[in-house]
Amino acid sequence: MRVVHYLNQFFGGVGGEEQAGLPPEIRPGTVGPGRLLEQALGDGSHVVTTIICGDNYAAENVQEVTAMVTQQVKEAQAELLVAGPCFQAGRYGTAAGAVCAAVQDNLGIPAITAMSGENPGVDLYRESIYIVDSGDDVSRMRGVLAETARLGNKLVGQGVIGRPADEGYFSQGKLRSEFVENTAARRLTGMLLSKMRGEAFEAEVPIKSIDAVPAPPPVPDMSRATVAIVTDGGLVPKGNPDRIPRAFAQVWGAYPIEDIESLRAGEYEVAHGGYDNRPVEQDPHRLVPVDVLRQMERDGLVGKLHPEFLSTTGNSNPLENSRRMGREMAARLIEAGVDSVILTST
Amino acid sequence: MTLTLANHPITEFFAGPKTLLDGSRLQVDLEELRRYLLEDQRLESVALEIVSPGDPCRVGYVFDIVEPRAKETGAGPDFPGILTPIASAGQGTTHVLRGTAVAVVDGGQPGGERGYTSRRGGGAKILEMSGPPSQASSFGNLRHLVVVPHPHPEVARHSVLNALRLASVKASVYLARTAQGKTPGSTQVFDLNGAGEDGRKGLPRVAYIGQVHGHQHGTEVDEHILYGGNTRGMLPVPLHPNEWLDGAVVVSYSWGARGLDTYFHQNHPIILDLYRLHEAKEITFAGVVATTSSGQLDELNRNCMVAAQIVKHTFKADGVIITKYAGGAPHSDMFETARLCEDLGVKTAIMVSDTAPDRRAESAALMNIPGVDAVVNVSEAADISWPAPAVETVIAGNPEVETLLANLTELPGVSVCGVTNNQGASRLQSIMY
Repeated sequence: MRVVHYLNQFFGGVGGEEQAGLPPEIRPGTVGPGRLLEQALGDGSHVVTTIICGDNYAAENVQEVTAMVTQQVKEAQAELLVAGPCFQAGRYGTAAGAVCAAVQDNLGIPAITAMSGENPGVDLYRESIYIVDSGDDVSRMRGVLAETARLGNKLVGQGVIGRPADEGYFSQGKLRSEFVENTAARRLTGMLLSKMRGEAFEAEVPIKSIDAVPAPPPVPDMSRATVAIVTDGGLVPKGNPDRIPRAFAQVWGAYPIEDIESLRAGEYEVAHGGYDNRPVEQDPHRLVPVDVLRQMERDGLVGKLHPEFLSTTGNSNPLENSRRMGREMAARLIEAGVDSVILTST
Repeated sequence: MTLTLANHPITEFFAGPKTLLDGSRLQVDLEELRRYLLEDQRLESVALEIVSPGDPCRVGYVFDIVEPRAKETGAGPDFPGILTPIASAGQGTTHVLRGTAVAVVDGGQPGGERGYTSRRGGGAKILEMSGPPSQASSFGNLRHLVVVPHPHPEVARHSVLNALRLASVKASVYLARTAQGKTPGSTQVFDLNGAGEDGRKGLPRVAYIGQVHGHQHGTEVDEHILYGGNTRGMLPVPLHPNEWLDGAVVVSYSWGARGLDTYFHQNHPIILDLYRLHEAKEITFAGVVATTSSGQLDELNRNCMVAAQIVKHTFKADGVIITKYAGGAPHSDMFETARLCEDLGVKTAIMVSDTAPDRRAESAALMNIPGVDAVVNVSEAADISWPAPAVETVIAGNPEVETLLANLTELPGVSVCGVTNNQGASRLQSIMY
């Protein structure tokens, strides 16, 4: 197997921080940890090219470096790219992740790296590439290379990649349904007993913090503000013109309410499978309170009700998709000069 | 409170001139049973068939699956609040026809997608008796009496559902009464009477909180869930685990495909496992709480608080398992209850069912609450399916569904009964790679 190896200036033996601005250098054969890597990959595997690049240079010239590494991997007719191990070195880990992802995406050639859990490269690239958990102890170099080589060989050989904990890589955050030995009940009681005994246990979903949304500054003067209503409760005009689905919605709609004093039952329906739609269909104001906002307009409490409301279905929506729709909605509202938004849910 | 289950393993189940249990051979007079079920005047006709494991047969859409059980004569009520007046379930001897089930088919109502309107919010589920889907299902290895009630067309939908429920428990009890007075193959005794006995000192006390309904989609006025009640406005209620196992709880007109079956209330995997640990003296089983997920915020806060208080102050539990009803919204109640329990010093383990359509863990992590870190994830089988096995018989509630089922080429895991389950029975797990 032909392998290309990516190293930073330190592990490439060029120098320390003073050499961090080093542009990429190409060396034939192994450099530094490359020899151990070659041994670990086993008979018939050769590091044909080693690329050494300074940490700062890679950080400041990501596109150039990834393009260059991709080109080298292609020219070398390599079957695998290995970057690192990077341990805790943050710039190194970030560069290693970037070159691995680029080679994998552009050439379809497997790429692998290794770093410690604290390395920022992990969060940036764990979902797209295999990153072996190196820990932060550089003296474990030999062992880490052995694990990297073992998984790298599997990637090239199209072998079945086992679970993250068994194979030693950082979870890629992908879910697969599998039939397992123990029922959910047995796993629940086992997990609870472990927890009560103070023993280690592992949750079956990631316990991950969801980004906190900072509170926006208050609207300085509501009596002059244009207010829009946005809902994820799925209110749509009768006939659902944008065909917003009742779950997993990929689309949202904007519906005119200019000159409309109140929303009439029968003219709207609900595209949302997550709640009993009847109360809203009986009176759409329960979800989109046009009536109250018109009154507030008349009373001078708000400046103006924005002439359309935006609607989609929040039901079972993947976060990534929700974020995209949120950005799209915000862009439309900002463009229209809306000052504040009332979000209604179910 | 002591419950004795008298287990009668059934090895043959067939139609015959007289309903009787002969050793492990169960013979049923289908005409007699039909006449009994047709005493419900809402029903125009009832189709009855017996299907066995391996039969090239597909059944749909399934309303519920119930294990045939009947109290020993004079021992207590069968499905109190539904079939009999209110009396305590959970004590005395109950005969169980192990290896069998009653599967009730919902004909649906005309209209909707594909000529059929399913139950609220839920996908329609199929009982598959052969091939890999049957092996992946908790119900593929049972002998089923399939009951297909056909209501008069003018009967309102909620009343139709009520009639289906009644038929399910009537058929269950009818079959199991054959075991009355007979010597069972084995018995199991369930009691917590020794909870205060010597030797339990220092054992952790563990409770269970289970949602028996979700008010996300409302409830019919005549819907039977807990002791026949529809759980509207219900506060969390402490029960003896035996009541739960012995007919006090049946599933609501539920989200079948997401997996809640009366069979697994009768054989509740979590309650049974807590009993196992109780008997092994690894824990003391402190009690169970039946609750619901809420339709409104004040209801959610009230119910979660009360459930947590019962577990802490009434049961004096050190740990609690909390499960939810099917769907996404009930996660809110489960997480909030867990948070309150953790605040009170009661350790929690909960069970989520991720609905992430993109199969990304990020989308599956519904909430992040400090301390609520013991989480079991049952898959909803979004990424599991099988080529539909060839079938010779399709049993369906109406001709449209029969055609549809006969022509299926693929069986999604989510639509096969007994693959996913929110009561702890499933072996299907969402694993993070």
